[in-house]
Amino acid sequence: MPASAPTHPVIPELIRLLGPDAVLTDPQELRVYECDGFPIAKGLPTAVIFPRDTVQVAQAVGIITRHNLQVIPRGSGTGLAGGAVAYGSGVIVCTSRMTRIESIDLDNRVAVVQAGVLNTALSDAILHSGLRFSPDPSSQRASTIGGNAATNAGGINTLKHGVTTNHVLGVEFVTAQGEIVQTRATGLYDGVGPDLPALLCGSEGILGILTRIWCRLVPIPRHFRTMYAVFNDSQAACRSVADVIAAGLVPASMEMMDGQMVRVVEEAFHYGFPTDAQALLLIEIDGVERTLDGQLQQVVSICKHNGACDIQHCSDPTRRAELWSARKRAFGAIGRLARSYCTQDACLPRSALAKAIKEITEIGRRFGITLSNVFHAGDGNVHPILLFDEDNPDEVQNTLRCSEEILEYCITLGGTITGEHGVGVEKLHLMPKLFSPQTLRTFTDIKTALDPGHHINDGKLIPSDTLHIELMQPATPRSPGGAMVIG
Amino acid sequence: MSTTALTYSQDIAELVRKSRETKTPLVDYGLAHRGLGHAPPNSHTAIQLTGGLIEHHVPDMTVRAHAGMKLGELQATLRENNQLLPIDADDDLSLGEILTHNVYGALRQGFGSVRDLVLGLSFIDGRGDDIAVGGRTVKNVAGLDVSRFMVGSLGQFGIVHTVTLRTSALPPQATWVELTGHDPGPFDALVRAALLTDANPQLVDCRYDAPRWVLRMGYLGKSAATAVQVRSLETLDDAHPDLHVTHTGHGDMRDLTRELSITRAWRRTAGALVKLVVPPNTTGRACRLLKEWSDSNHPLHIDALPPFGCVMTGGHLSAEQARSLDRVVRDVRRSLGGFAVWHARPGNDPSITPFSPEPSEMTVLRKLKHALDPDNLLNPGRML
Repeated sequence: MPASAPTHPVIPELIRLLGPDAVLTDPQELRVYECDGFPIAKGLPTAVIFPRDTVQVAQAVGIITRHNLQVIPRGSGTGLAGGAVAYGSGVIVCTSRMTRIESIDLDNRVAVVQAGVLNTALSDAILHSGLRFSPDPSSQRASTIGGNAATNAGGINTLKHGVTTNHVLGVEFVTAQGEIVQTRATGLYDGVGPDLPALLCGSEGILGILTRIWCRLVPIPRHFRTMYAVFNDSQAACRSVADVIAAGLVPASMEMMDGQMVRVVEEAFHYGFPTDAQALLLIEIDGVERTLDGQLQQVVSICKHNGACDIQHCSDPTRRAELWSARKRAFGAIGRLARSYCTQDACLPRSALAKAIKEITEIGRRFGITLSNVFHAGDGNVHPILLFDEDNPDEVQNTLRCSEEILEYCITLGGTITGEHGVGVEKLHLMPKLFSPQTLRTFTDIKTALDPGHHINDGKLIPSDTLHIELMQPATPRSPGGAMVIG
Repeated sequence: MSTTALTYSQDIAELVRKSRETKTPLVDYGLAHRGLGHAPPNSHTAIQLTGGLIEHHVPDMTVRAHAGMKLGELQATLRENNQLLPIDADDDLSLGEILTHNVYGALRQGFGSVRDLVLGLSFIDGRGDDIAVGGRTVKNVAGLDVSRFMVGSLGQFGIVHTVTLRTSALPPQATWVELTGHDPGPFDALVRAALLTDANPQLVDCRYDAPRWVLRMGYLGKSAATAVQVRSLETLDDAHPDLHVTHTGHGDMRDLTRELSITRAWRRTAGALVKLVVPPNTTGRACRLLKEWSDSNHPLHIDALPPFGCVMTGGHLSAEQARSLDRVVRDVRRSLGGFAVWHARPGNDPSITPFSPEPSEMTVLRKLKHALDPDNLLNPGRML
């Protein structure tokens, strides 16, 4: 610990428990942990700790809460809603050293992992078996399975293969009282009573800290067809998505890039996409080899019927990898357009996609914001990307207000404010527009039942009485979006 | 004791509020699950939910219905638009009963369980408040996932009155292949092998059908596709000389549903019924151990879902025989791992523990029960 480190009395205790190499207190190093993948929300932690196992997490939680500090769980910090930001000078409990794959049971298709195991590390470890851990968020090379579970992460394959909660059989977590709880932690495909693992999945760390996950392993699809369809009209592309679903087809994935995104990706990486396209659908079908061409033809017919001007398809693994790399590198390419961007995450009934995309574009225009779209069209999960300069407080506020209007509009279509990124602090103010006061109180009651002192990640996911985080009214021009009031 | 039939949230909320004042518990154990858990208190108000379809978003393949709607009625409505809810349960079960008892069957292999199909729901909590969670989008992480938490909750955390579920396209054809053998042991290996090939089925179950064991694997879709899958299964079967394909059935979903319901029909009248869940690769062994008890004691019905290690067994047993079966079930659990839940015990025999959840989990569930039902009005004592 450097001489200039903060001297909060919790720190010596944590060092005694975990050792000096597992407690970060240098203010310069703490800056790395002041935000996650949502750069608007920032808060400097008192310390960041790196426990190696569940018992250390439980003991550390006991120490931190005894000092009446917030406990903030964090995996790799790839969250996109500010869920891992340490408001209120909390201590971040980082699971990044909890990286043991504890057991792999191929016969029963279950793996037990510590929460800090990276998403792809598990699938890489069992590649030879023909099985995989299916959830595939864009961050999968960096994000942890604990983080995936805590945010119920989605991804590209979720249309057919489900989101993280569909692949979590059991969990172990540490409560605010430092208790270690295992639920359905025997690797079985059923349980007694209500589905507690499901409640923990997507709870954004407000009910406890996930320390171990019992992961369901599923067969890797062996046969596939990948295609892209180019449209001169984004509405037509959206209609194609709805028509494919309505025809009873279930592609493994159905992704869409709007014209601006196609151009950005093409200029950056040269995949051969037409730069005058208004939309591009990237679709993959998997299943029994002899059935795939028939399904592909059905999808092609639907796209043609809706006016697709160019359709290419392949079964070649190299070309397939290229096409998916285009999709996965889309967010990286955005950096060519602006210093900062904010990705929204509304989810809609698929039949409302065409209408929504049109209106979202119009809202962006009204706010004078450059807006691109790359999203999980098959799930109805739109990701409007709003470009801005995070050092310009006016632009930050304009971006937040534009985001709010987009999400409010999506609610009117029967949609929700987040399909896979989570609420974090970013969308807290919209929760009362989606849920009744009684429902919000129920969420709070559940939180209070497991964390009576509201010590764990308070103020995230559900509005809090004790820690009020307000992104829309900055405390100072230097901290746009970082304003906080502790009541 | 009379049963109060309810459909609408306002009526349910009003009844809950009245019950709070009079401190009278409300009891709904479902139609086919009356024996599951500890018996209700002597003094209570029995309720039963009724209702029908609220909205079917055909192109989005989602449906919203009253929890009291019967599965058979829903399937008939969905069929008009070439869709189905891919859950194999008896037609007279309500959607709420299926959800709160986590009812699943052979189709779980291809379509998941109700946990994978529920998008949102509304329930009346123990205060009489109407709580709506989830929604009608296929992905949604806004708020806590109380919808899935309610799956298997046995009506102890709220009275679910409305559910939103995702539907599937109605397969044009179903083909099911039955393989028979004298021992269920090889079934596990065959199922595991099938999962990694084109023979990966949409439905799997097995049963004892005296004097042999029958493994059924089914394929849904266009006939050309299912034919490929069946051929792939036959190739796998060649490596298992102890198993023989003895029957191949074809039909539509109604035919398949009928077949599946025949397999489980015994459960509705069984005086003793227990669900045993073991590691999937020991399903055959569990079945074999139960059969050994059956051979030396009393004939048992036994059917199972090998991919999930779920074994249902029971029959018309005396209290003494049920206690003996319970001892065997406990031995099987000790030997193979897993847990058991009694769905029916002769005379609600208190010497048979209906289930044994993990103690640390029970502590958490009690806290959650108190949060959602502070006066312990809803199915009190059934599990917690």
